[in-house]
Amino acid sequence: MIAVLVMAGTLCHLAGSGAMIQSRPPETTALDIPGPVPTERPQGPRCIRQRILASVLLLAGCEGPQSALVPAGVDAQALHLLFTTMLGGAIVLWLLMNGFIYWFSHRHPAAFSEIAARWLIVLGGVVTPAIMVGALLVWGLTLLPDQRIAGNGLRIRVHGEQWWWRVAYQPPGTSGPIISANEIRLPAGRRTEFILTSDRVIHSFWIPALGGKMDMFPGRETRMSLQPETPGRYRGQCAEFCGASHAWMAFEAVVMPPEEFDAWLKAEAKDARPPQQDSARKGQQIFRREGCGACHTLRGTEAVAQVGPDLTHIGNRHSIGAGRLGATLDDIALWVRHTGDLKPEVHMPAFPHLEPAELRDLASYLKGLK
Amino acid sequence: MTNQEHEPLPDEERREFSAETGSLWRLTLTPLTWAMHLVLCYATISLACARQLFPVEVARLGLIGASVLALGFICWQGWRAVRQWNVLTTGVLTHPNGKAEDRHRFLGHAATLIAVISAIGTVYTTLPLLLLEGCR
Ligand code: HEC
Ligand SMILES: [Cu+2]
Repeated sequence: MIAVLVMAGTLCHLAGSGAMIQSRPPETTALDIPGPVPTERPQGPRCIRQRILASVLLLAGCEGPQSALVPAGVDAQALHLLFTTMLGGAIVLWLLMNGFIYWFSHRHPAAFSEIAARWLIVLGGVVTPAIMVGALLVWGLTLLPDQRIAGNGLRIRVHGEQWWWRVAYQPPGTSGPIISANEIRLPAGRRTEFILTSDRVIHSFWIPALGGKMDMFPGRETRMSLQPETPGRYRGQCAEFCGASHAWMAFEAVVMPPEEFDAWLKAEAKDARPPQQDSARKGQQIFRREGCGACHTLRGTEAVAQVGPDLTHIGNRHSIGAGRLGATLDDIALWVRHTGDLKPEVHMPAFPHLEPAELRDLASYLKGLK
Repeated sequence: MTNQEHEPLPDEERREFSAETGSLWRLTLTPLTWAMHLVLCYATISLACARQLFPVEVARLGLIGASVLALGFICWQGWRAVRQWNVLTTGVLTHPNGKAEDRHRFLGHAATLIAVISAIGTVYTTLPLLLLEGCR
């Protein structure tokens, strides 16, 4: 039982890769258990208690915003059921195999009749695996088309860049797309279609809590659809190695009640808000002076370049730099000053010559772009 | 066939072994069918989907037909192999002696098992044809 727990804990750890970053490594969890640290290997019930505790702590690593084990949508639920069924099956098989080993080596070590041995091989080695693998194959194949069933109208184009995401919302019945970047908002309870493309290399689009992943290819369109159910914030991650900052190519996925989503999308379609306070006005000057508009768009201003992410409503985002940092004033200042340190080989220059006060003004300008 | 030990005549072994050339070749037929079926499926679907040479639905139905043929052939060869193994009439599974008769039955035994694997493999390759439609 304990071994199973430990096994499950380890598996969880592997499966919830986002949680893996956040939780402590397994070696330290064992030391974190309260009580005196024993010098010798503890024996008996205490040892068992500790191991169960360690396993529970490991299982806690399955939670978090980027876990396929805590599904928040229809598609992730389907995959979760497949996963838990396979895990359950693996545990049963493991117990059976070890039970057999124990039984035949300790309890019943006498010779086995040849006929029985042959039946065991044929049934256990050929018939059962063929049926089980076949059943899993059929199950998996019936899940595949569900990844692309038609949505309820909203389409989102996502274009993979090194190392960030262009996002364009295309609600039904509107003319132009609504451009955004590095954050994807979705209405709960509705199915949204994704049209995925890529700039120079292959990326993979994956929001583990909401569904399976889909590769993004240069020069080719792939499609998938997602139906999230539980409003909340989740984390998406590029799941195909795409260069130096691949690991920093993430994004926030925000699932909202449909009315809130509609209101947000309406606001997202608007032009950038002019700066309100003095510091933000100074920040706008710095933005112009430093030529940020040579790469970034602020709709409604003279900044119309498309090299980098659209910053029109950056003030509403929960993260910047494709999930690299939070979105506080300090984070924005840090990003502009230490871009390349935060994200190796990033295609935005750092601006180390800016004074702290200038960085603060710049940050308050960007933060005000709600 | 005699049971007596004797010094093998020159070339005797070679002749004895060559008697099984046919069933040795037959052994490879079922995995070859499986392999060709796999290549045919992949090639046809990609020609239909990537090159649009013909409609994918036509490709799919044609390949399902080809799968039935392939499975039929594998079953037929499998049945021949079972008869060569001769387990159903004798009830004897193994062939521990290195005599011609043992060799003959052993090759039937092996061909049976390979036919079973090939049939399973071919069924697995066919499942996507039955369950997935279109180029997705
Ligand atoms: C040479 C082009 C270039 C210039 C100039 C540039 N940027 Fe960027 N910027 C980028 C690129 C490319 C990214 C995306 C980097 C990544 O995440 O991989 C980016 C990302 C950002 C982000 C994060 C956006 C998001 O969606 O999370 C902010 C904020 C930002 N830049 C602000 C600025 C400011 C302020 C300036 C001027 C001081 C500036 N940039 C100048 C190219 C540029
Ligand atoms: Cu990537």
